[in-house]
Amino acid sequence: MFSTIYIEEEVLETSRVKNMLDRFPQVPRVVCERYGEVFNRKSQNFRLQKKAPALILAKKYGSKVLVAPDGYGYNDSRSYYFSHMLNCVYDCRYCFLQGMYSSANYVLFVNYEDFEEAIASKIEKNSGGGVYYSGYDCDSLALEPVSDFCKHFVPLFGEYPNAELEFRTKSTQIRHLLEQPVIPNCVIAMSFTSHEAGSRWEHKVPSIDKRLEALQKLQLAGWRVALRFEPLILDSQGLTPYESLFAQVFAKLDARKIHSVSSGLFRMPIDFHKRIVKLYPDEELFARPTTTADGMIALKSEDESLQLAAIEKLLFSHISPQQYYRCA
Amino acid sequence: MIKKFEKSLHGSESTPVNIVVAHALEAKALIPMLHLQPFQTTSRFVQYGNSNNLHLIVSGIGRAAMEAAITDLSQQQANEEGQIRAWLNIGIAGHSKAPLGSAWLGNKITCQESGVSAYPPQLIAGIDSVAVITVDEPERTYPEDAAYEMEAFSFFEQATKYSTAELVQVFKIISDNLENPIEKLDFKNIPIWIRLLQEQIILLISKMSELVREHNDSHRIPRVYRELCSRIHLTVNQKLQLKRLCLRYKALGLEADLESVISLAGSHSKQIISQLSAQIDRVGKQ
Ligand code: SF4
Repeated sequence: MFSTIYIEEEVLETSRVKNMLDRFPQVPRVVCERYGEVFNRKSQNFRLQKKAPALILAKKYGSKVLVAPDGYGYNDSRSYYFSHMLNCVYDCRYCFLQGMYSSANYVLFVNYEDFEEAIASKIEKNSGGGVYYSGYDCDSLALEPVSDFCKHFVPLFGEYPNAELEFRTKSTQIRHLLEQPVIPNCVIAMSFTSHEAGSRWEHKVPSIDKRLEALQKLQLAGWRVALRFEPLILDSQGLTPYESLFAQVFAKLDARKIHSVSSGLFRMPIDFHKRIVKLYPDEELFARPTTTADGMIALKSEDESLQLAAIEKLLFSHISPQQYYRCA
Repeated sequence: MIKKFEKSLHGSESTPVNIVVAHALEAKALIPMLHLQPFQTTSRFVQYGNSNNLHLIVSGIGRAAMEAAITDLSQQQANEEGQIRAWLNIGIAGHSKAPLGSAWLGNKITCQESGVSAYPPQLIAGIDSVAVITVDEPERTYPEDAAYEMEAFSFFEQATKYSTAELVQVFKIISDNLENPIEKLDFKNIPIWIRLLQEQIILLISKMSELVREHNDSHRIPRVYRELCSRIHLTVNQKLQLKRLCLRYKALGLEADLESVISLAGSHSKQIISQLSAQIDRVGKQ
């Protein structure tokens, strides 16, 4: 699963780290002082590292709960994100993480108690409310069997019923969620793209069927689930891929109970795009004509807004417009 | 197993790996093992190579010698094509208790003098790894569980200026330990130990070659770029634009379409670039 496990000296003797290490007795271990010695150094290559990523167990210092970027979620006010992990076990070619980091290794911050304290204090500052996103710099659930992340963080939100926790994921690692009591203020938001986009650009991601199966189990168990259709990469096939995707999704889930549905076009900060192009000069997606606006890059398309509106119309045949928001 | 790796090593596939050794004795066993021939060069460093692009340079002992050899070789191999090479340091080291002739990849290289560590990414499975400490004087007590030697840190620091860290590795062979101190080292054993490690060395070179080849293939610039550069005057910025355009054509499966612009080589560089841009913007829209 990991080529190597790097461990910061400071967390080496913690019981959480010892338990994690016990699960991988055969993986070589290397002790480092700070994770920055190993992660995101110059002269590293994300694409090559993705072939055999390492796990880095570290302690997070500094701000742990940050204001969510504009348009990240469905609720503009008081939205925050926190990242217990950097990087993702999946390998989506359109993923902005490839442009954000020069390293594909997974950094797992193991000082959960410090995150808890920071989240609790932020919730209290917001009079018990706010929306808290996990899964901005990683996939929230994909490493759950190793990290026990949601096993640990969901109960915290049980104590703050007016604060909402959203897990962004493409993972089917839901066992820990199913094993614990449901809390109504936790949302599991699963991302989907069309079958065609998935098979072209999403590597190692569980199939749409498997993800739907996981969402269905969660929904039946009483968890609130949400759908994120992004990034939409519009091409010559028009609406057809989305017709079949939506039909498949809404045949499996109870649409009325879905917390929210969103869609968003392919967008990326210009600098990240530049770096990704250098990494994947052979990737068709990054060779397409682009436009730039407000520091972001988008694929050039004449009828983008028309196509997006048509996709939204399709969605509204399954859900109510109140359940929907468009990502910035 | 070794046959399979040997085949890949000496077959038609390119092996863009630079092996750097400090001692001529380390080179001695590698030359026949890797079918290397003396490489004629004006460089002050002794070099060997083969037709598959595998290269070996003897740096001399110590950090300064290592840095100089890498700089020299990288200048000799410089290219405008974005093609890189893997770098592999093979050399002897001491360890408190590791058996003589055993060998590891370095997973953490610390410069004893500065205390700074570097971490070669571990992409190659099947070879055990160990910490390496680079010292300026031979170490006799081996206080840490690490291989002690004299070049690895400088090797890594210098080679990563010309390649990516994943493709820079050090392979250390134990030549001395507490029971067999360095003063009693019989130099004749060095080529023998290296020969006995043939399987690991070939595995290492093969896997490194595979990674570089894949990298270089994906970054290969279409031939038209070179052709146009040699025929028309292009500013530095225009060269960059043209390179990117050629790569975009290739990524979109339109490399063959590029050939048509060669006939325009008599035209102004601006005209060629704008024609290529307009065409790809038309075709590339899905
Ligand atoms: S699942 Fe999300 S975070 Fe992971 S690689 Fe894909 S886009 Fe990136």
